[in-house]
Amino acid sequence: MALTALLCAACSDNKPKPVDPPPTGGTDVRAELLSAAGACMLTTARDFLPKATALQAATVALRDAPDAATVAAARAAYHEAMDVWQVAEVMQVGPAAPRSNPGGGELRDNIYSFPLSNRCSVEEQLVSKGYESASFSSSLVTRRGFLALEYLLFYEGAETACGPNSPIVAQGTWAALSADERASRKRAYAAVVAADVHTRAQALVDAWVPEGGNFQKTLATAGPGNAVFPSTQVALNTLSDALFYVEREGKDQKLARPLALRDCASDTCPELLESQFAGRSKQNLRLNLVGFRRIVEGCGADYAGPGFDDVLVAAGAEAVATRLRQQVVEAEAALAAVEEADLKEALAQDKPSVQRVYDDFKGITDVLKTDFITTLDLEPPAGLEGDND
Amino acid sequence: MTESAGGGGLASPRPWARLWAWLLAPRDIAALAAFRVALGLLITVSAARFLAYGWVGVLFAQPKFRFTYWGFGWVPAIPAAWLPALFVALGVLGVLLMVGLFYRVTVVLLFAVFAYVQLLDVTNYLNHYYLVSLLLALLCFVPAHRAFSVDAWWRPALRRDTLPAWCTLLLRFQVAVVYVFAGLAKLTSDWLVHAQPLNIWLAARTGLPWVGPLLEERWVAYAAAWGGMLFDSTIVLFLLWRRTRPFAYVVVLGFHAVTFALFPIGMFPFIMVTGALVFFDPSWPRALWARVRRLPWHGVAPPSGVAVEVPGWKGRVALGAAVFYALLQVLLPLRTHAYGGNVLWHEQGMRFSWRVMTREKNGSATFVVRDSVTGRQWHVPPGQYLTRLQEREMAVQPDLILQLAHRIARDFEATTHHPVEVRADVRVSLNGRLSEPLVDPTVDLARQEDGLGPKPWILPAPVSPPVHLRPTRAAQARGR
Repeated sequence: MALTALLCAACSDNKPKPVDPPPTGGTDVRAELLSAAGACMLTTARDFLPKATALQAATVALRDAPDAATVAAARAAYHEAMDVWQVAEVMQVGPAAPRSNPGGGELRDNIYSFPLSNRCSVEEQLVSKGYESASFSSSLVTRRGFLALEYLLFYEGAETACGPNSPIVAQGTWAALSADERASRKRAYAAVVAADVHTRAQALVDAWVPEGGNFQKTLATAGPGNAVFPSTQVALNTLSDALFYVEREGKDQKLARPLALRDCASDTCPELLESQFAGRSKQNLRLNLVGFRRIVEGCGADYAGPGFDDVLVAAGAEAVATRLRQQVVEAEAALAAVEEADLKEALAQDKPSVQRVYDDFKGITDVLKTDFITTLDLEPPAGLEGDND
Repeated sequence: MTESAGGGGLASPRPWARLWAWLLAPRDIAALAAFRVALGLLITVSAARFLAYGWVGVLFAQPKFRFTYWGFGWVPAIPAAWLPALFVALGVLGVLLMVGLFYRVTVVLLFAVFAYVQLLDVTNYLNHYYLVSLLLALLCFVPAHRAFSVDAWWRPALRRDTLPAWCTLLLRFQVAVVYVFAGLAKLTSDWLVHAQPLNIWLAARTGLPWVGPLLEERWVAYAAAWGGMLFDSTIVLFLLWRRTRPFAYVVVLGFHAVTFALFPIGMFPFIMVTGALVFFDPSWPRALWARVRRLPWHGVAPPSGVAVEVPGWKGRVALGAAVFYALLQVLLPLRTHAYGGNVLWHEQGMRFSWRVMTREKNGSATFVVRDSVTGRQWHVPPGQYLTRLQEREMAVQPDLILQLAHRIARDFEATTHHPVEVRADVRVSLNGRLSEPLVDPTVDLARQEDGLGPKPWILPAPVSPPVHLRPTRAAQARGR
């Protein structure tokens, strides 16, 4: 205490010292980021809604008047909707996030359950016409959403992914379906799934808009008194958790497994790529990076506007911001350098080019898991409040 | 052979006898009984927290892989279904300690169960759990149940108003070790010159009411860093000195209240506030009680005319054991100096050394497995084996990286039937420095033995200074 007193005495000498200006109550750059990120997520949800509407209409048209044109239109509508959704994948905050997250509404898994998929389950629905059931919208997510839709709209083969123990194989009911009947049921099933996706898309927008759940305000007003985000830091943690999509789903699922770096016994495992039937695995990764950049750098044109990088720069951690932005640009460049239209062909013809994409995604996640969360004192996902000392 | 050391005083001129007189002098048991009650209560509350927050499942049942302490790999894991019962037992034993029922058995069981829980997984290591284990170990030798306990109530023969002074001295020594080494651990340039990691932690708490905007000001981090270091390294002196003790304890309460409000450190402040009570006069509970009841208090007169017998060989063995324990407690925190380098980076000698809140460290680890025969490579993300919490701890602690590398090697060798090499690509950021590799990525960890010796495959710590964060609100005000 004597030393403390001495220190305090030393502090109180009369020499003028250069000091930073005191806080003026100006807008906190962290709060600004939360506000901008919320707006970005609402904008993305709003962008997605008309695409989901168009997709629903296209699948209804296909169901009612199947021909080459309506098939092409439905597939095009799928691509357009998926183009927006893959951007939204990196924005799983609040209504889109799992229920275990702050404000989680689990809408994302209902729209797109990747990496949870089960083609056999979809085929069993085709046979049983389970999609006609009133309770279909609350059935397993692997029977619904974009993954089911991709199979239903793009896969034209006759074989089933179900094993011999599945009832539709054991009882011969799959084999008993004629090609026309199977195609007809796929179209009907696709229309039901697209309608369900549209319902969820509307629910997502409703959850964010001021006249609905107003989650944008919930996020922007994080702090004492906010039941969902009692502090700015909790809200920033939620945002940063969403960014870890590029590790969990991006690096480890979409890239490492097809590259046979894990969970694969062969030289490559293209059957583990994200998009099995629509051939958009490469495009999906590219769009994931777009979503990532909109949160990290800003949601405006050319990624202008408040982002995590602005918080880092304002705090004096320019080097971390630069490193993070640089890694993303390198990952984008690696993806662009893959000459093939999709990763399936690239794995077969130029595996090293896909490996480079993996390496650059790892570069992003290395920065996220080290410099980024250290500097901002964030917790990695699934962090536990504990007796940490 | 025994000899008289005088009536609790310093009657004998012989140093050896004086030492025994000092150690065996009767002291009021009241303070130790109060300490027993408080510690039992804290253990019960801790166990209840683990059960209520679901930490038993998250920390002990969910992990598929356990990190063991060196030399304790033999400790078996109990079935996950029994874990809640283990924590219920801890809670019940805490209550028994509190009320002083079956004390001798209770305190030994409590130490065994508490230590067992700590030994289950290194990634759950926390300094204050280690401290509680040590305090329980010491209580095994301290008969703190001879008053204010159910045992003393139903067995009058047990009752004593005093205990020998060594009982209090041992506990004081233990608590003093924590504070002093926590203070010494802060004599680093990161802490004193750069105010890290406090600057990082405080800057992230600007949303707090009233004080929030101040917390990202750098001078606040410096004041907290220097204040914390001075507090830790000097508070024991002020607690030992009778005249400053009450004021020092108020500072203890204030300091730990602030750390509790600012940081997620759970029971730590409560344990230290309880631990600091051992520095008070042995009769403080009676004095407090008298004050509450507004009764006159004149202190407890030390027993007079009671000759302290210098114990024979058993007493000397006990004293030897106590001295050995004390030396161990001093040497353990110092052992890192035998390794050289920055302990916050290489972590050799980090545990059991009271380096409390001295680092903000995060890592990213990937294990690269290579089949030595076919040359095929796999990348193994730690998440394949670990929970996120385990992964976070493992990624910054080389001995844990080594343990997981060995497990991965065993698994791959079992499936490939070939020898494999395991290398680790680990990048770590320490106190806001840009991340750098922690371990040599060319070293086959599958061939490295674990042990207490230096690990040459750990790369040198970064030499750059840690990050200096600016106040973001002020930055905005200046027209960012």
